[in-house]
Amino acid sequence: MAYNSFAYLCVFLPLCWVAWALLPQRLRSWALLAGSLVFYWLMNGAYTLWLLLAAAVTWALGLWLGRLQNLQAETLPTLAPAARKAVKKQYTALQKDLAAAGAVAMVGLLVWLKYLPFAAGALNAVLARLPFALRITAPQFLQPVGLSFFTLMAMSYLFDVRRGSAKPAGKFRQVLLYLSFWPHVVEGPFDRWDQVSPALLDPPRPSYQAVTFGVQRILWGMMKKLIVADRANMYVKAVFDDWTKYSGAAVMLGTLLYTLQLYAEFSGCMDMVLGSAQCFGVPLAENFRQPFFARSISEFWRRWHITLGAWLRDYLFQPVIVSKPMLRFGKWCHGRFGAALGRSLPVWAGLGLTWLVIGLWHGAGWLYVVYGLYYFALQWLGQLAEPALLRVCPALPGLRQRRWYILWQVARTFLLVNLGMLLFRANGLRAALEMLASLARPYTGSLLIKLDARDLWVLAVGAVVLLAVDLLHERGVRIRAALAARPLPLRWAVYCGAMLAVMIFGAYGDNYDPAAFIYAQF
Amino acid sequence: MHTMEEILAILAQVKPGLAPAPDEELVRTGQLDSVEIMSLVMALAEEFDLEISPLDLKEENFHTAEAILALVNRLEE
Amino acid sequence: MTLRPWQKNALRIVGFLLVLLMLVLAAGHYLMPQSNRYLEGYTAGGILGEDFDTIDVVVLGDSNAAQGIAPMQWYDSYGITGYTYGAGWLSMYNLYYRLAQIYEEQSPRVVVLCTAPAYSKKSSESYMQSAVGDIADELLPLLRFHDNWKYLNADNLFTEKDYSWRDVNKGYMPITDVSPRTGGDYMYDTGPEEPLPFLVQVYMRRIVQLCRDHGSQVLLVTVPAALGWNLARHNGIAAFAEAEGLPYLDFNLAENDPGIDWSTDTSDGGTHLNWLGAQKVTTALGDYLREHYTLEDHRGQPGYETWDGDAGSYRDARAEIEARVREAAGLTA
Repeated sequence: MAYNSFAYLCVFLPLCWVAWALLPQRLRSWALLAGSLVFYWLMNGAYTLWLLLAAAVTWALGLWLGRLQNLQAETLPTLAPAARKAVKKQYTALQKDLAAAGAVAMVGLLVWLKYLPFAAGALNAVLARLPFALRITAPQFLQPVGLSFFTLMAMSYLFDVRRGSAKPAGKFRQVLLYLSFWPHVVEGPFDRWDQVSPALLDPPRPSYQAVTFGVQRILWGMMKKLIVADRANMYVKAVFDDWTKYSGAAVMLGTLLYTLQLYAEFSGCMDMVLGSAQCFGVPLAENFRQPFFARSISEFWRRWHITLGAWLRDYLFQPVIVSKPMLRFGKWCHGRFGAALGRSLPVWAGLGLTWLVIGLWHGAGWLYVVYGLYYFALQWLGQLAEPALLRVCPALPGLRQRRWYILWQVARTFLLVNLGMLLFRANGLRAALEMLASLARPYTGSLLIKLDARDLWVLAVGAVVLLAVDLLHERGVRIRAALAARPLPLRWAVYCGAMLAVMIFGAYGDNYDPAAFIYAQF
Repeated sequence: MHTMEEILAILAQVKPGLAPAPDEELVRTGQLDSVEIMSLVMALAEEFDLEISPLDLKEENFHTAEAILALVNRLEE
Repeated sequence: MTLRPWQKNALRIVGFLLVLLMLVLAAGHYLMPQSNRYLEGYTAGGILGEDFDTIDVVVLGDSNAAQGIAPMQWYDSYGITGYTYGAGWLSMYNLYYRLAQIYEEQSPRVVVLCTAPAYSKKSSESYMQSAVGDIADELLPLLRFHDNWKYLNADNLFTEKDYSWRDVNKGYMPITDVSPRTGGDYMYDTGPEEPLPFLVQVYMRRIVQLCRDHGSQVLLVTVPAALGWNLARHNGIAAFAEAEGLPYLDFNLAENDPGIDWSTDTSDGGTHLNWLGAQKVTTALGDYLREHYTLEDHRGQPGYETWDGDAGSYRDARAEIEARVREAAGLTA
């Protein structure tokens, strides 16, 4: 049941809301849980068991961690100061082991269901070079929907409990609701337990304003998905699936349209997800913050798929760098290469690992490894070049305040991101390289590939509207609140216009291919 | 106890040209991103021989030079 | 009387939905094509251009019917007036609503319901998706015609729509391509019947009921299709026909074979018929209709002048089409 389907928007969501609103307050979280399980079951059938298993493990370990922390808090003050340190160490070690066990279980589940064929393929490639015949056949599983999302959320829950920044849930159903909550189980965002659990477990009163704002946001997401993304998809699919036929401007337009498609689609999906949750008074985390105004690659990734970056920063990048082996590595580098490298080499090692994981998270394949490393290389090169640039042009810090320089940085970032998108969408590494090379070859055919001139106009207008809305958001304008302050005829005109726009300009029906959500496949 | 001068010196090492006022916001203004924070952490760990755990890596411990100084002094204890 | 906040809000929502519905209906009206020629694929929309109560046999179906049954041939030979209402991917849900629309202008004695739509479904859609999508399309014309904004200009907003276009071939689409089918028998026994999906069955029953309410007799027909038809599907329809007490004529069965030669009579390797195949099926179905129903010979009757005229055009075009398809099939004239 896709978020933009009739069944979801006109049947599932209203039914859930009515049940949720009519139930007495203390039973409302049960309505959310029932809705989530039905939603997940409809998409996955028996694979729901994996989700239940993950939730059970997470719940048990979280509870255990909480008990240990309580026990520690009770016992330590009763001990003699001399004994305290040793006992504390024991407690810490035990908690560390529990959190690690949870991480191993979740990563294990991910690897088992998602990465095994890829890992076996890579291993077989190595084995093939050996003199004896040894091959591994990996069992092939259907990947349950949302696997990449709920396993990571389960880990964040355990790590947060272990760090003391979140209180563990007492009941299994609470953890299950957190992991399975239907708005975020398919495509994220990666929500943190301490941020969503209050509204999930102790739901607020139904509010007319929350529902209208939620529905408006869903409508905005529908516009992005149906008018822009699904339309662009026609062109993108034709060019990337049949890349040998195209070159130059066709590939360039295809890449630009893919960037537009992915942005409209993923951020549009997030609008539907956050809008859905808003109807129930649950504030999910924002995943996008006007990414195309970013001035650098690292800023882009702080604005694009924010919660994935935040997850990896908090639970992979930072812990890896302050881990004991990495600190030792830093000391070793310090002794060997001096202070500057001793400081930066461990950080870059951690960053490289993080990018590798980002790449692999998007898919089990070499293309995705290269995709991650592409961004790593860009970030590294930027940092390496910085001192040299400052030496050549000492006025740089001043220039960076200038408007034209900022525009140049934004344009440069946009270009590099588009190259990354080409890599990401291409049918394999070879296709990506061939498409890159083909950019230099002129293209003489028609640019109207699968779309007519009117469709391209709709896409152009759609891109401008997206840009305008992002600009308003960047300036801090809260559009829905501003609109709500206007007189009713104007408001209704806007909402009716938006709904008619979706129905009329939506790329659905016999002339278009229906397109599945891209991020639901990760 | 460490001094603000030491912290500012390390900040300038980690990011040449960075010379903030002690209470100037560093993280939200984008003057320190997560990579630079980690370089800073490595530098602090090296310089003052600190043991920093992931639990200390919170934004509020790094958002101003004063906060960094407070963190270093706390970890030294 | 003062309203509570939730009552006020509920009223506001209802009011908004009413305004929206009016706009959707109005927009749907403007987006309908200017001419009935473009209402539907093939030339199904031409039925709206026929004079009221002139059509005695309505054939409902999808592309198999539109390429396989040529009603003008019946008129030319026996004076029976028929129209094939068929277009690509029409479903039983679509056909129910289209038939209701046809009944507003016509009162056919016989409704021939072709069975291919009972099982055909786009692979990109689930069964529920296609049902919901098709029914929504029928209830809200805006959804069905939404892409017509591309052909909208200032003129269309103010000129009346002209739905008087007639099709000389009466819904049939003559295809002269030949692409032979190489496989053998496709009606071998594969075991049990393929049951009709629940909603399809509901809508087929609604079609039958609609026909009964209007005094039309229903005949189920399967146009020959080597790809897309099989014995399991035949059995599914046969079970439906028996339950409803309807006659069922499957031209894929050996006993009803109108003489289809799959090496010459199909335009795409066995899915659809070309002109040669259509001639055979049309003749066989015409014979069956004449034998089992009392259908008047309208040739030369007052009120059927357009039919006589169209029959002339049909005869004029025949020879050339015939020559083209025979050449493509490698048959000597």
